[in-house]
Amino acid sequence: MGEPEQLEFARERHALFLEAMASELPGDYASQEVNHLTLAYFAVAGLSLLRELDRVNKDQIAKWILSFQVFPETDNELDNGQFYGFCGSRTTQFPSTNVKDPCHNGSHLASTYSALAILKIVGYDVANFDSKALLSSMKELQQPDGSFMPIHIGAETDLRFVYCAAAICSMLKDWTGMDKEKAKQYILSCQSYDGGFGLVPGSESHGGATFCAVAALRLMGFIQVDLASNLREPASIDVCLLMEWCLQRQAEDGGFQGRRNKLSDTCYAFWIGGVLKIIGAYHFIDHGALRGFLLSCQSPYGGFTKLLEDPYPDIYHSYYGLAALSLLEEDEIEPLCIELGILSAAL
Amino acid sequence: MHGRPRRPDKPEDAAAAEAKAAKLRDLQTQVLRNHHSHTYSKEALGLSFKLLELNPEAYTAWNYRKLAFQHNLGELSELEAIKSSIDDELRVVELALRQNPKSYGAWYHRKWLLNQKLAPVDFKREFGLLDKLLKVDARNFHGWNYRRFLAKFMGVPEEEELKYTMDKISDNFSNYSAWHNRSILLSNLLTQQKKGFESKQKIFSEEFELVTQALFTDPSDQSGWFYHLWLLAQTSSPENPQLIALWPSNGAKLSLSSVREANDKQNTPFSFSSICCYSLKEGILPIVLFFNEPVKGLTPSSVSLNSDLVVGKDIQWRPLSVTNSGHSNCWVTYLEVSNLEYCSSQQFSVEISIPNTDDIVSRSGSIYNCPVNFTFTFEPNNIDSITKDTDLIHDPISWDCSEPLPSHVKPSCIHFDQLKITNALIQEESKWHLERLSDELDLFRELPDDNSKFAKLTLARLLLACAAIKSRGSSLIERRGYCEEALGLFNDLICLDPSHKRYYEDERSLVLMDQLTCNMESFMKYCSVQVLPNLAPLNHVQLCRLSLTRIGFVERLLWVQMLDLSHNNLRSIEGYTFPYAVTLYVYFKHLVKQGL
Repeated sequence: MGEPEQLEFARERHALFLEAMASELPGDYASQEVNHLTLAYFAVAGLSLLRELDRVNKDQIAKWILSFQVFPETDNELDNGQFYGFCGSRTTQFPSTNVKDPCHNGSHLASTYSALAILKIVGYDVANFDSKALLSSMKELQQPDGSFMPIHIGAETDLRFVYCAAAICSMLKDWTGMDKEKAKQYILSCQSYDGGFGLVPGSESHGGATFCAVAALRLMGFIQVDLASNLREPASIDVCLLMEWCLQRQAEDGGFQGRRNKLSDTCYAFWIGGVLKIIGAYHFIDHGALRGFLLSCQSPYGGFTKLLEDPYPDIYHSYYGLAALSLLEEDEIEPLCIELGILSAAL
Repeated sequence: MHGRPRRPDKPEDAAAAEAKAAKLRDLQTQVLRNHHSHTYSKEALGLSFKLLELNPEAYTAWNYRKLAFQHNLGELSELEAIKSSIDDELRVVELALRQNPKSYGAWYHRKWLLNQKLAPVDFKREFGLLDKLLKVDARNFHGWNYRRFLAKFMGVPEEEELKYTMDKISDNFSNYSAWHNRSILLSNLLTQQKKGFESKQKIFSEEFELVTQALFTDPSDQSGWFYHLWLLAQTSSPENPQLIALWPSNGAKLSLSSVREANDKQNTPFSFSSICCYSLKEGILPIVLFFNEPVKGLTPSSVSLNSDLVVGKDIQWRPLSVTNSGHSNCWVTYLEVSNLEYCSSQQFSVEISIPNTDDIVSRSGSIYNCPVNFTFTFEPNNIDSITKDTDLIHDPISWDCSEPLPSHVKPSCIHFDQLKITNALIQEESKWHLERLSDELDLFRELPDDNSKFAKLTLARLLLACAAIKSRGSSLIERRGYCEEALGLFNDLICLDPSHKRYYEDERSLVLMDQLTCNMESFMKYCSVQVLPNLAPLNHVQLCRLSLTRIGFVERLLWVQMLDLSHNNLRSIEGYTFPYAVTLYVYFKHLVKQGL
């Protein structure tokens, strides 16, 4: 690992990398095609953080995104149990416009989140957006225990989708899409004894799950700003333990691990760094060491790698590397609305 | 999504990758077509199998298979045929997991199959699969989650699962997931009071021994330390809320005089307690109760107040910090004393008692269960009735901002935080806690000093836990001793683990505050009385230049009216309540966000 002073933020290389990814993804990503919209989000959001959105055609992107939205055929079909959101890719989307059959509707909560995030980033006014069917059908995806199923046909339910639902409601400025109180109860039941959150109740604490929990609570208005300085205030989550767990995730190499005893991984600098920022405890980490770690994960091809020793970058870790640098308030990187995962300027 | 695709090294590899991508596209198109047309033939199923083997992320294919399974099931009646169909599905999952052991879709498909409850579950097969996968990656949380699901689904007793965690831990102490599972199982067994798990004390003693073995075998591994921390939290936190301070204190004798006489030197107000209670705004005397955690439910019936001062009036208790839920650490009520005549040397007594009540509860629902009883007396004072044999606060000193003040208070002390807790049950529990913690302390002090940060942090926590228990009675000297030792450890940690420096500074500040304020004799040198012209004298405390980054133990400062925290490194004092304080001097070192 090079000395921090010798490491520079290779802005132009990252912009080129993301621009390339935005126009065509390499064959290795074929297995991730079902999450095409999410991959697009990484590219577009990454470019927006670098203030290089002009490298893509924003209107074209907005049109492309909107083409994935699923509508009910008639108003009578609004509450037939289907979710009317966005499909994640052409391969999950039924070609014809007839979406009567539930199995023809592959719309997914995570893709819907990605779609809305991209629309906001490229400047599309979501007030123009017909969200009625989306929100009322989203509510049907919420389970009795407060968690969310991502697609109406059925799939695993866990914290990731509670976060997606909260972010969607927040971006559309309409909370009729979910029962916040129930969602909060589910989130609380995921806090592990050591302060972090697991993906499901009983699961061990995990950086990504912890971000989903805290960001969702913040979006829903259940935790106030700067919680960590205000520890006398009875909070619904155990903030002391949470803060302790998060802080202990910073390793000697400066990076953050996702769980105990695992290697430092670029993306957790955002997931866990983001949690610390939200609760007002970001000043406790070693900023210099983290920056050094992140810059050491830059690839000569542009983008960021997952681990220090990895040879190749990937788009997921490239985006989160940039997002983590945004938290560090790196020059030439735009500030981020952490809990929504989009530019502050796009709000 | 979190996996990372690799770039090919050579042209042949590039061609192979392209071919693979083309095949995937092809398969996906075909499967989707079959899905949309509800085609569930053997051939179609075979295609979906090929797809999932190559790419377990194609969740639409999993859903297609569920629909196909249900459709084809309708045409089967014999159990054998049904079982065979289920086996096929299970095999698909196994092969997909081989490709990606963390595929959400694959794990969910398996759970879904079992939940159909169409055939008895093959115990050996399921646990065998898990064993294999967890051997390859002991931290695969998907596997552990599935294991928890399976155990519950099959009614495997938690005691047995506990044994399994023991096996995994014996294999490798570093198996954090196993320790984690152990904590879940133990919590359940204790809550349900299963046979052999009735005594929390017995179980935790055994667990302490187990984890200490792990720690002494390999102190550099994190897993054991955090399990230990969990055990510590289970053993050292009181289960029920406790009353830890009140103002005025039990047995205090307060004296009041009115404002206009206060600047005459001859009218030195006096008191039989070392802290004077000077004239109060609008003739109101606050009475403050401070609990160790936020509670609610203080009403005239749960906390009764008897006094000649308040005949026929209902006392209302108010929380001092405003919260959403109505819980608060600090509760206050106000006695009106303005209508008293300051002519006689009559003493009024005020008695506060908390009888047996279920009303006062913490956020988690545990009840305050310690009936107590306090009395203080209160004498409105007249200049003429100063008697000579009182010798407490001399000469109020006029105060100049720039100089630190020496104290002129002679401590004829009543510990202002002294509480008489008579409930034997509390003492009994504390006794076990203290013994347990003392044993751990002795053990950890023996650990060779190889500069393990976890060892030092745990030792510091143990010391502080012991200190907290020794808060009552005459063990205050011991408490200061623990604090002193912990302070040294935090100083070490700041050097040893600089990336967490600010966190240790905060912890150190708390310990310092504890040490300074736990004992009246030592605390007195920070206290004085401040007199300014035309104002009543104020109880003044200065805690300056102590490098404090954070304050705590405010329950010991309830009586303070003027608090000087200048020249420290405080970032914020949000959320602390000082019921009495007229002024608060705090100078922030950095007014803007912290620099790097």
